[in-house]
Amino acid sequence: MAVLVDITKCIGCEGCTVACKRYNNLNFKAKPRNVKDDDNVELDDNRWTVIQEFHGEKNDKLRFVKKQCLHCKEPACASACFSKAIQKDEKTGAVVYYPDLCVGCRYCLVACPYSIPKYQWNEQFPQVSKCQMCSERVSKGDAPACVSACTTGALMSGDRDELLKKAHEIINSDSRYINHVYGEHEVGGAEWLYISDVPFEELGFKDVSNVPVTSYTKSYLSKVPGLAACWALFLSGIAFYNYRVDKNRKSHDDDDQDKEG
Amino acid sequence: MSNKMSRRKFLKVVAGSGVLGFGVMASGCKGKPSGGDGWVSSQYEGKGNFPVNLKGRVAISATNPSIERDDEKCILCGQCVDACKNVMGVYGNYPLPLKQEIACVGCGQCVMQCPSGAITEKSHVRKVLDALDDDTKHVVVQTAPATKVSLGEEFGMPQGTSVGKKMAGALKAAGFDSVFDTCFAADLTIMEEASEFVHRLTKKKDEIPHLTSCCPGWVKYCEYFYPELMHNLSTCKSPQNMLGATIKSFYAEKMGIDPSNIVNVSIMPCTAKKFEVGREELEVDGQQDMDYVLTTRELAVLLKHKGIDLNTVAEAEYDSVLGESTGAGRIFGATGGVTEAAVRTAYYLATGSNPPADLLDWKPVRGMQSVKEAVAGIPGVGTVNIAVCHGLENARQLLDGIKTAGSSKWQFIEFMACPGGCIGGGGQPKSMDAVEAKKKRIEAIYKEDTGATKRCSHDNAEIQSIYKDFFGKPLSEKAEKYLHTTFVNRHDRLFD
Ligand code: SF4
Ligand code: SF4
Ligand code: SF4
Ligand code: SF4
Ligand code: SF4
Repeated sequence: MAVLVDITKCIGCEGCTVACKRYNNLNFKAKPRNVKDDDNVELDDNRWTVIQEFHGEKNDKLRFVKKQCLHCKEPACASACFSKAIQKDEKTGAVVYYPDLCVGCRYCLVACPYSIPKYQWNEQFPQVSKCQMCSERVSKGDAPACVSACTTGALMSGDRDELLKKAHEIINSDSRYINHVYGEHEVGGAEWLYISDVPFEELGFKDVSNVPVTSYTKSYLSKVPGLAACWALFLSGIAFYNYRVDKNRKSHDDDDQDKEG
Repeated sequence: MSNKMSRRKFLKVVAGSGVLGFGVMASGCKGKPSGGDGWVSSQYEGKGNFPVNLKGRVAISATNPSIERDDEKCILCGQCVDACKNVMGVYGNYPLPLKQEIACVGCGQCVMQCPSGAITEKSHVRKVLDALDDDTKHVVVQTAPATKVSLGEEFGMPQGTSVGKKMAGALKAAGFDSVFDTCFAADLTIMEEASEFVHRLTKKKDEIPHLTSCCPGWVKYCEYFYPELMHNLSTCKSPQNMLGATIKSFYAEKMGIDPSNIVNVSIMPCTAKKFEVGREELEVDGQQDMDYVLTTRELAVLLKHKGIDLNTVAEAEYDSVLGESTGAGRIFGATGGVTEAAVRTAYYLATGSNPPADLLDWKPVRGMQSVKEAVAGIPGVGTVNIAVCHGLENARQLLDGIKTAGSSKWQFIEFMACPGGCIGGGGQPKSMDAVEAKKKRIEAIYKEDTGATKRCSHDNAEIQSIYKDFFGKPLSEKAEKYLHTTFVNRHDRLFD
């Protein structure tokens, strides 16, 4: 299953982000952890998807870009995870995170070429968090929550090959579109595909290689012994502890968020 | 709380979860994937392609001066889209991809229709409270006609209760330095607009049909979608801004107050007014006419915050100089009111005598019918064909009709963005039965008109004296400077 995002059709209503938060029971009150210089909010543990706003060089191309996990065909996050807490679901194509398997090493955060996975810094039992492509809905044949909430046609879900065909048809029939389906080949291809009339690099898309990251990591990671896991556990403990100490020193600004987080 | 976790407890927790993880992994069972434990509204369940009428929601820019939304309350019911598209003719009436901005005329009808209270006005309550606490500021407030027949609802009074004098009393109790009446400015608007209309009818026929301009939602709509008709808009500012400009000039001068120390607040049934006050074209000598707008709902919040109960507060009169109003000024709040008031004074301007009884109870322009038509016989001017339109989707259909026909059969068209006019504005109290509430408010407004000793704007003694002392006569140079404005073509922001 794949999703085609037609950036030209998005009106920035953010209905998709609300659907995602509701369906996945995320915290609406959590303040954004990461606001970029251009005021766009980045993904975080309570924002599995965000809408980012761009205005174009001459301020005449207002575009909104939905950001979430791209669900790579060869997910670097999954191959970085020796604990198999992230797995590519063969049936749906979703790259799914299983919290019960996670040891908290956060290799996936580092491995992802798009910096998608985030960490629940405020939880006692922290988990990695990222878009699951609504795998449970999708496995029943339903559309992801965000897709079903989009009424403008900016999000379409369906079979990847068919959507790719459709994407190229749209591009070929309308000269305004850039001749590039982002996600078709990026790091080996992804389930989420984007088409746009504004060059992708102007919309915050990363220019990544077409070679899957996994081709570098797979060979050695599969051989990493359990010792690495213990080492990771140890490191993560230290890191998180330091984070806590640091945080406790800070003013009480974040208190609310902590309680609700 | 989590913040207070000890180092030992923390390490235990981390170790524990890790061991659990290895255990689960070793057993070959994946456990449950994260997510999916919330809910979505029924129309998004399954494939999300059920044939429902209402889905999605309107886009609201962070920079929207009128409205904002609390996502946590939004249930994606699609009611706001219904209001914006089907009632206001905004949503979906521009091409995609977007150009410069998210189209919104600020009408607030989505606020009224949002069942969960997710969309609200952008509040000015805090700023007004701060201004009231600032001793160096002279805080002046004005109240719009449509708020006088609705504020009571926020205090449990029956729909259609007239509370003008109680509101004046409550505002004085809340600490405002002067309490003026927007109805006064409505009379002022009529003096200017009726004069302008008569002038256009006789000398500037290319500016006919004359389109009213006191509704900022409609004005922005015209600028977005019908820029070719901008020169037909009356150049009159809205009553709110006419009064604001008068307060910061005439009143400031009279009272010896530095206009920069005046804070002009208005009580409005409207969220578009919050956009209007920031329009640069309305500034006079680099100064904004108005500073803050409180909706009827926000005023209720402010009064309750101050512990003032409208039920028990002592009544008071509006302050003099800018406080007298006539029946004509009061009916501005209902659809057709501006037209009726303008015709009364146009009749006077053309004939020198007050209009006959039927023009003082002019049924064809009253009521909730979407487009009302009327003919006024004004001796010396001839017959004037008039249309009255409320709800911007209705306006779209009417204007498209004119475009197709190539000319307008009406010489004067009144437009109000909100259904029913300002009594149905986006800043009004919400009610379980909006249709009934509008009916009752309209009845109350016309009762205030028939109960008034003076029925025509030109009979307002304070209006007569302000022209004598300050503006000279309608459309004078000074009147043009303070009371008239220009418009901005916004078409390019949406269309190629
Ligand atoms: S985008 Fe990142 S997190 Fe998502 S599947 Fe690809 S590598 Fe994993
Ligand atoms: S697919 Fe599901 S989890 Fe992913 S962004 Fe959409 S709603 Fe959220
Ligand atoms: S729901 Fe659709 S139109 Fe609205 S922001 Fe999301 S992708 Fe864009
Ligand atoms: S305020 Fe009016 S124009 Fe703006 S989104 Fe709401 S209904 Fe639409
Ligand atoms: S009307 Fe309110 S609750 Fe319904 S979709 Fe719009 S904002 Fe959300």
